[in-house]
Amino acid sequence: MTEYQSQELSLDGADASFLRRPARAVENAARDTTAESGEAGSVIRSKDFTLFYGKTIGVKDITMDIYARTVTAIIGPSGCGKSTFLRSINRMNDLIPNIRTEGFLTVNGQNVYDKRVNLVNLRQQVGMVFQKPNPFAKSIYDNVAYGPRLQGVHSRSELDSIVEECLHSAFLWDEVKDDLRKSALALSGGQQQRLCIARALATQPRALLMDEPCSALDPIATARIEELIAQLRNRYTIVIVTHNMQQAARVSEHTAFFCLGELIEYDLTSRFFTNPSNKQTEDYITGRFG
Amino acid sequence: MKFRIFPREFRDKCFTASCMFSVCLMVFILVVVLFPMMARGLKAVFFQGTNEFREMQLVVFGHGDAERIQRENGEIEEARAFVYEAANRFRRGIDTEHLADEVRGAYRDYGSYLRAAGISGERYSAQRARAKDLRDALLDAFESRDKEYVQSRLQCVLQSRADPDFGGTPIEAYFETAESYSRIAASVDLSRREQYAEAFGEVREALHKLFGPGPGEPAPALTMDQYGATRWDAVERELHRLLWSEDWVETEPGRPMVKETRARREFFAGTELEPVFDYVETNLEKLFQPRFTFYWRYFMDGSTDGHYFGGCGPEILGTLALTFFSMLFAIPLGIISAAFLVECTGDNIAVRVIRTCINTLAGVPSIVFGLFGMAFFVLFLFPVIGEFGHGTLGIFSAEAADKLTKPNILAASLTLGLLVLPVIIRASEEAIRAVPINYKEAALALGAGQFRSFMTVILPAAAPGIFTGIILSLSRAAGETAPILFTGAIAFGPVPDSILEPTRALSYGSYDIAVGDRLAMLVPHKQYGMVMTLVALVLTLNIIAIWIRSRSSRKLRGL
Ligand SMILES: Nc1ncnc2c1ncn2[C@@H]1O[C@H](COP(=O)(O)OP(=O)(O)O)[C@@H](O)[C@H]1O
Ligand SMILES: [Mg+2]
Repeated sequence: MTEYQSQELSLDGADASFLRRPARAVENAARDTTAESGEAGSVIRSKDFTLFYGKTIGVKDITMDIYARTVTAIIGPSGCGKSTFLRSINRMNDLIPNIRTEGFLTVNGQNVYDKRVNLVNLRQQVGMVFQKPNPFAKSIYDNVAYGPRLQGVHSRSELDSIVEECLHSAFLWDEVKDDLRKSALALSGGQQQRLCIARALATQPRALLMDEPCSALDPIATARIEELIAQLRNRYTIVIVTHNMQQAARVSEHTAFFCLGELIEYDLTSRFFTNPSNKQTEDYITGRFG
Repeated sequence: MKFRIFPREFRDKCFTASCMFSVCLMVFILVVVLFPMMARGLKAVFFQGTNEFREMQLVVFGHGDAERIQRENGEIEEARAFVYEAANRFRRGIDTEHLADEVRGAYRDYGSYLRAAGISGERYSAQRARAKDLRDALLDAFESRDKEYVQSRLQCVLQSRADPDFGGTPIEAYFETAESYSRIAASVDLSRREQYAEAFGEVREALHKLFGPGPGEPAPALTMDQYGATRWDAVERELHRLLWSEDWVETEPGRPMVKETRARREFFAGTELEPVFDYVETNLEKLFQPRFTFYWRYFMDGSTDGHYFGGCGPEILGTLALTFFSMLFAIPLGIISAAFLVECTGDNIAVRVIRTCINTLAGVPSIVFGLFGMAFFVLFLFPVIGEFGHGTLGIFSAEAADKLTKPNILAASLTLGLLVLPVIIRASEEAIRAVPINYKEAALALGAGQFRSFMTVILPAAAPGIFTGIILSLSRAAGETAPILFTGAIAFGPVPDSILEPTRALSYGSYDIAVGDRLAMLVPHKQYGMVMTLVALVLTLNIIAIWIRSRSSRKLRGL
């Protein structure tokens, strides 16, 4: 156990937990200890990270640290590489043929583009919530239990408690507790998105990546998601891509501004919106952009 | 403005009209094709069955109320006795060969009678000589066409009637014969005797077809000849043949021959046979005791040789087995291939070539698959496997190895499976490709591997589309004849007890009746019955598949 603990703390260490497949119980123990130790530091680090779609550049020379248990917002005009960067973190870009990367992108000190990386473990540690709610055509229960089942949890009581806990965390429990067997597709859009968050939480990730999670939702559902993010910020490292600057200002501690595949400015949100150091940023946040 | 709107409205109307037209056409064709076929097929199950049918069912298949059939048979035999008696009488008059035999027999009997009575020496020779004279007189009478001469010879015989030497001896038969023949000779045109004999042969054949073998006749070898008309439509058909004769006659030299239909009643006017025709025609009910029959065992009974009687039970089982095993082979292979094409490969030349091949295969005529199946499975692969398994490994018995060299269910199923494989691959590929990438991303982001995400998320989402392919290929596998023609179908044979035996099948059965020249005309109900059963079977299988599909797609939509 101490071994895992030391791994957790050594951010730049060569081996991180997703290089192997640690048993869930051990991992939990390791997590809990870290939580108690009140570790604060960067969970995701990117250094001169560049990604090519074939010959065209997706993102270029991104260097930024994303800090543990904070909410980091990424804003920027369409097509500037926000999603590309976000999906690089848990390697969802692997679905696209002909991608190539340069530089470093580390999660918990481990380079995610290392050949030895176990994608399954990486993605279990870095959860993702997509723009369009995409629950499986299964029951609410089975949606949430999908991740734990992949991790080998099959005991009924354990699954029950994970499902309940995650739905609680996602503020969905009270709305669905009576019909967990109902199809997830029967939920409203906002509920579906919260279910997706619950589903992502069920794998016990360290970080949660959200790609415009509210852009398909109405204002009330959006407000609920934001509320949820505010609740989760103490426990998870959250990176949220958004189009909505007010949202970024409301939910995040740090904000990054991307433009044309490059990171233009990255700062504390309070400073970012009140006192941007870059002209482009200022134009963008005041609406004078392009 | 107005004239701009006009063409658009017009186009819309045309579009709607053409849509409606094509839908109506489809429905019309369905009704025109399917309805009469089904109606004819239903005749195999619902019809007026005669007692011949019930007796056949009892004897051949062992169904039915034996006591009741016995009782009815008694009544019917009584009713038919008139016909047989009249026919017998007529035959005696016409068939002089037969009469001559009788007379000769009586003469021989007389000889033994005399010896038994202890008469010998001169008296014996004298009496025999007299009997011989009488016999020759009778034989002369039978030979002759001349009425006068016949009557004079017969009178000659009848004069000896009072002779005490002949009273109570076998010679008495001479006088009866002479009397009846004198009556017949008076009424019948003796010169037409040959014609009568020929026509009487036809009548007897028709009677045989109607009533089955007559009393005292030996049972024919073929089951189909052992019973008369079992169905009312057959009764009507054979009755027509009994009542009417059809001859091809030349009206003018050089012109085509014309078919002439003549009533047999007129032909046989004045003979013993004349009343038979009216009798049969008016007493059909009594002669056959037809009853409405719901022959539900049609779907279970086997059939007699030539498909003549019985049902299509073995055919249904065979078709189900062939469909099941071909699907067992084609569905997993099809889905795996489709998954490979979508998930595991990019879009390179090789994949495109494979895809083109698959599309081409989907359009290849089924007989090509049949020939391939025979050449590859039956003649090449299976014998090699059998030889290897029996000789080298010793895991097969010699019997199994031998069966592998002949057409069997396995080869037929594999051939059918190959036939429908392209369809399943195509449909599954489309369906898998149509699953939103969202689903896959969600699964991958939760840490599922490629296999897990495919099995748990993509496959369920693609299921309705895959089922569409399965439905299409199910009907095809169940209905195709050509692929099983050389690989595992037989027309007759026992219900197979392993997949290494050949089997009957509905498609092949109806094909066999259709090409079995005369049969299709005699047992159309049997052929259409098989076709109807096939359609109903496919429909049932499809309904089940459609039900499963709608369930899975309802689940996908969250209902
Ligand atoms: N699959 C892809 N193949 C090639 N280019 C892509 C692909 N996805 C995105 N891009 C390009 O990468 C750039 C960044 O896209 P993206 O990260 O989706 O922008 P956004 O900031 O709107 O999320 C865009 O110019 C886009 O054209
Ligand atoms: Mg985007």
